[in-house]
Amino acid sequence: MAGSAMPIQTPGDLVKARESGLLKLKPGRPRIAVGLSTCGIAVGGERLIERLKEIITAGGHDIDLVRVGCIGFCKEEPIVNITIPGRPLVILHRVSPDDAEAIVKSVLNGSVLEEKALCKVSSWDHITGSVIYGTGFDTIPDYHDITFFGRQTKVILRDAGFINPEDIDEYIAVGGYQAFVSAITSRSPDEVIDIVKQSDLRGRGGAGFPAGLKWEITRKAKGHLKYIVCNADEGDPGAYMNRNEMESDPHMLIEGLLIGAYAIGTPDALIYIRAEYPLAIERLKKAIGQAREYGLVGENILGTGFSCDIQLATGAGAFVCGESTALAASIEGKTGRPRPRPPRLTDSGVWGRPTDLNNVETFCNVPVILARGAEWYRGIGAKGNTGTKVFSLVGKVENVGMVEVPLGTTLRTIVSEIGDGGAGGKAVKAVQTGGPSGGCIPARLFDTPVDFEHLNEAGSMMGSGGIVVMDEDTDMVDIARYFINFATSESCGKCVPCREGLKHTLLILNKIVAGKGSSADLAMLESLSDTIQMTSLCGLGQTAPNPVLTTLKYFREEYEALIKEGT
Amino acid sequence: MDDTTFHEIISRYPSPSGRILGILRDIQIQEGYIPRDLLNRVSEELNEPVSRLYSLITFYSFFSLHPVGEHMITVCMGTPCHVKGAEKILGTLQSLLGLPGESSDGKYSETTEDDMFTVEIARCFGACSMAPVIHVDNDLYGYVTPDQIPDILSRYGWKGTGIGKPQKGSDL
Amino acid sequence: MTEGARMVTVTINKSQYRAEEGETMLSVAMRNGIDIPHLCYEEVLDPYGACRLCMVDHVTCGKRTMMTACTMRAKEGLEIMTDTPEIVKYRSTLFELYLSQAPKSDVIKEMAARYGVTKTRFLKKIVHDDPLGGKCILCGLCVRVCDEIMGGSAIGFINRGPSTVVNTPFFDENPACLGCGTCAKVCPTHAIEIEDLGDTRIMKSWSGTRIALQLCPDCGQYFAPKEMLEEILSLPDPGIVEELKPLCPACRAKVIAKGMFKATFQGSVHHG
Repeated sequence: MAGSAMPIQTPGDLVKARESGLLKLKPGRPRIAVGLSTCGIAVGGERLIERLKEIITAGGHDIDLVRVGCIGFCKEEPIVNITIPGRPLVILHRVSPDDAEAIVKSVLNGSVLEEKALCKVSSWDHITGSVIYGTGFDTIPDYHDITFFGRQTKVILRDAGFINPEDIDEYIAVGGYQAFVSAITSRSPDEVIDIVKQSDLRGRGGAGFPAGLKWEITRKAKGHLKYIVCNADEGDPGAYMNRNEMESDPHMLIEGLLIGAYAIGTPDALIYIRAEYPLAIERLKKAIGQAREYGLVGENILGTGFSCDIQLATGAGAFVCGESTALAASIEGKTGRPRPRPPRLTDSGVWGRPTDLNNVETFCNVPVILARGAEWYRGIGAKGNTGTKVFSLVGKVENVGMVEVPLGTTLRTIVSEIGDGGAGGKAVKAVQTGGPSGGCIPARLFDTPVDFEHLNEAGSMMGSGGIVVMDEDTDMVDIARYFINFATSESCGKCVPCREGLKHTLLILNKIVAGKGSSADLAMLESLSDTIQMTSLCGLGQTAPNPVLTTLKYFREEYEALIKEGT
Repeated sequence: MDDTTFHEIISRYPSPSGRILGILRDIQIQEGYIPRDLLNRVSEELNEPVSRLYSLITFYSFFSLHPVGEHMITVCMGTPCHVKGAEKILGTLQSLLGLPGESSDGKYSETTEDDMFTVEIARCFGACSMAPVIHVDNDLYGYVTPDQIPDILSRYGWKGTGIGKPQKGSDL
Repeated sequence: MTEGARMVTVTINKSQYRAEEGETMLSVAMRNGIDIPHLCYEEVLDPYGACRLCMVDHVTCGKRTMMTACTMRAKEGLEIMTDTPEIVKYRSTLFELYLSQAPKSDVIKEMAARYGVTKTRFLKKIVHDDPLGGKCILCGLCVRVCDEIMGGSAIGFINRGPSTVVNTPFFDENPACLGCGTCAKVCPTHAIEIEDLGDTRIMKSWSGTRIALQLCPDCGQYFAPKEMLEEILSLPDPGIVEELKPLCPACRAKVIAKGMFKATFQGSVHHG
């Protein structure tokens, strides 16, 4: 169901929209919400919602049926939320179309299918608002008692899995767009930048550059035509945090982007999104359309004189386009070959204009910072590493899914507690963070806090947030080879160290893996890795050797076992 | 492609940002590949030299210069999938369908001789919780094991014989 | 030197030099006879940053960072070092990569030898029937000059990563090619082959693209691409007397020297 197309012309209108939106989230009748993002759909979520629709329509039952986003416990999909007036919201897991009849029946009786229940939620803090559901269902565990959930701190993922991402009213119901409206009606752009600076928010794409500072630099750059761009090219294999953020709560990104555009002083906002995310593209398009109908995007928003429109530009299957100058080139219709810096993007970016480029999750942090204040935000995480970070915990781990924790949380907490250790009870050997630009961290270093500095010290990096767990059966030399193969096939080919250097690195690794390597080959690996790191034109090349360097550092014995004896 | 569809696609992108890639993407989705004559039409329409468009199509993995088979199989080779045995899945597909093990230009896209199946590699669908993952047309299969492949293929009309070129260069 | 440009003082290898503010440090070094190897730099084009050979150490506050000299802009007090042990080490490995990438190029062999690199640990690239004769280093100069200066846009990069090659779209003859030969002129390793056969110029490296050549009625030599010549001659500036138009530069010069035509046109005569 689309929004009720009532333009927001005053802050008072937003309050009214909020009230009517809340009636959708908590209607006076039962509500069945099916988790339908890419994961949910992949395991048959569409058939499930079809079946539920059939049953409800056939029986003429007074039940609301909606699709919601992903609550992040991916291994428990398909997930269904049941809201019965006055009762806690109940999360059902591993639901199949065959359960549909029993679910509807139980709901009509004012209860839920207990054997499918994972946990219950009595009230939920949406950070920008809150929803109180009710009491009861004492035999069902509480949400916070489920380790996977209880140890997380949901800020970015506060709405995911609860609200319908295709209905702007539900976003507004939980306090959405409040921060934006308040910013453009009662704060100056410089004040907004100041708040973001004070929050110490650092870029969530991997580099960790202070976001407020970047906005300030762009605002002050020469020229009055500028761009604000969202990097939604999430290319790290195994990382899908941004995808979840866009599919489950697209308005959160839109609001953050609008606030940024206001702060920098530009009406031109762009989202560069990878082609491999068709559902996210569709939901963003829909969301932008609804925001436009409501007058929150477009000309003279709320009569303040601030105008902003958001365009989508799609990628076409090139990991290198996540690099800022390559991304700009791609938007301009060119190949994704990075450009040398200087000039920096903030001086000359897309079409030669000063451009601010931030990751999806960086923008998603902005509405809560403005709504709750910089001091509140600084209270989460650690000094210099404020706020939360969403990670995708994947690989050989028991609990695969979205994990949001304050920065500074240790790897052990994430992998052993929230992740519940190695899949099938196997011993965890290492994790890979930062994707192809990152490195492998051995289990003995799992007390390392996950923040920008500590991960860099260990030889890896935060990256966009993918954490791939490896167990005792994983061959670390093969992992290094996998990443170099990836980097080689994604290299743009412009500069010699990356193009030629990675090619030869892969040849040597293949040799070693095939048992034909020698100690001279190990020396060449190190020398090549060093050269590629120090002389490549862009971040892809500069970080591509990291998996090799970290596996050599922490798992050298695995390499040596493969080297021919006596060479 | 008829004139109406072509101009409709062009008109979806009034602004220069994201325009060229957007148009090429829509053509790829519509036709299943980028036919040479369409590339020339785009060149005329947008006043972009053909060499630049050809550069784009061969640079970006999303585009194909050759028509694909009736059914498209995409194997995810992302890190979680790799760690859970994606290479064996790819190898099994190559062996059952008689496809080569290597690609010449870095983009793996091979079609069976009877044009029924095309196998490609993707870097990550973002369905990592169900690794290893493959897509066949619009269907996503998770937790795939090599012995499930023959059954999956037969759902799309595979007759059980690897009609195709003999395997070359694979290191299974 | 550009008129009205601000002059600054920079330091290279502990000696001071004057430079225009914003001039590339590579250009400053070359002007002063300081040797910094480079392969993808061309004065008329924007710095490209592909060859990575011009890396120097940028010295600030006692720290040194490696950067390419072609993208470093001169400003007051800028200091660089060109031959520190690190630079020499990385340059060596880079040259090894060049030797394995373009094993048939004498230019690369000589250049590498000048910097002390005579062999490579890495596997040499062998391409059968390589239209660029095993000499291409993918510096991009041919592509950029064709696209940005000559306006032909006849060739481009194809594929990406180690599979990258330069050629015409679809590896077919490309009518967009002007036949000007600027690509071959600008190629640092002389990898591009062009052959003039009678009345046709054959771009052997560019999929055999053929361009018709203009015949000089006086000396009977074919001397320039027909179409390109026609276009240039049709431009109002330089206006050239009709009778001189079909002549090759050498014959034109002879005719003018005989005093048969007054120099009524603006522009210069290039003696072939």
